[in-house]
Amino acid sequence: MEHHKGFIIHKKQFAYQVGEHEAEKASNSYLMSLIAVIAGLPLPIINLIASCIFYFANRKSTWFVRWHCTQALLSQFSLLFINSCAFWWTISILFSTETLTNNYIAYLITAIIFNVAEFIATIYTAIQTRKGIHVEWWFYGNLTHLICKTAV
Amino acid sequence: MKKSIIQGIFIIALFFSIYGILSMVDWISFFKIETITEKSEAKIGDLFWKMFQENEKENKNAYLNHSIDSIIDKICFANKIDRKIVKLHIVNKAEINAFALPGGHLLVYSGLITHSENQEELSGVLCHEIGHIALNQVMKKLVKEVGISVLISMSTGNTGTQVIRETAKKLSSTAFDRSMEKEADLKAVDFMIQAEINPLPFADFLNTLADKEPEDLKYFSWINTHPDSKERSKYIIEYAKGKSFHKKSILHSPTWEKIKKDIQE
Repeated sequence: MEHHKGFIIHKKQFAYQVGEHEAEKASNSYLMSLIAVIAGLPLPIINLIASCIFYFANRKSTWFVRWHCTQALLSQFSLLFINSCAFWWTISILFSTETLTNNYIAYLITAIIFNVAEFIATIYTAIQTRKGIHVEWWFYGNLTHLICKTAV
Repeated sequence: MKKSIIQGIFIIALFFSIYGILSMVDWISFFKIETITEKSEAKIGDLFWKMFQENEKENKNAYLNHSIDSIIDKICFANKIDRKIVKLHIVNKAEINAFALPGGHLLVYSGLITHSENQEELSGVLCHEIGHIALNQVMKKLVKEVGISVLISMSTGNTGTQVIRETAKKLSSTAFDRSMEKEADLKAVDFMIQAEINPLPFADFLNTLADKEPEDLKYFSWINTHPDSKERSKYIIEYAKGKSFHKKSILHSPTWEKIKKDIQE
């Protein structure tokens, strides 16, 4: 059993041999969230909606596809909170009396760091899952296992 | 499950740790944002002043301008305010009004000088407006009125003259919010006391104008745009009560008389 362990991302052999169509769908779940990032930068909720649509469309699919759709969806949740705060903070600076502060800039940089990290992880995972390789993220992988337990 | 909770807490802790560390950096200075803001403010102020220059007639009487400048010199010197910040412009208009524009442009309508019983009353209004400038309230008011996006496009020259005209009109005809007005009033009293000017005539000025008949008020823009004059007069007297100060006139009586005479010509 092949098992590569990194600090944030673990490459693991999946429970069964993954088919070509499954690998493609699973990879698409990450691509979906990536494409949504472009549209969702100004409105973070778009990311989540896009991932949700993809998740619900594939919930009757195979375990591998469901598992990766769930991981992609969960990763969007934490970014939704971070990006929503950044979004509304920016709006209040632009259109109300709130002023530009060191705290705001610090928050924005932190949000960018987390977004970039997620972006890189998403691209890497999309490529690996396309090859049929199962990739588990640190924290999100465990959480996905709790939600996505058995095959339909 | 336990492992996931610990990992979740770790991620949240990591986020706030990075945020906490980054918050310690003075990003405003690092990105030179203050300097950019100051430059934009100066640019917007110049735009507004240009707009007023085109529509109003500036009073170029050298004696009048130098005399009012002397009052501002004294106020700034006594309160350690950089004199170069305040740029005085006297405009020939019957309205009793004075207001600050971004970039330290201070517009005084001739009507205000005409209706000031004494130089202390005029000094009070000038101190109040300098207070708005010193407290950086002019830009705050503008941001509240039109939003920073409009101001950014103004400073980059992407706004039409109509928008600039409307915004400039807002500055001359609308009040700051109550807390800002009170802050500027109390700052004015501090400025006056430091400059050895009696602040009580300023309170009287507000009180007297508040008693004017509504028909007369069409010329009293400064009062119309600064509501609750009676209340303001009261708290100015209350604030000044506990403070000891010397009373000195900045201008000699003949100078003040000549100003009054010149302004009516």
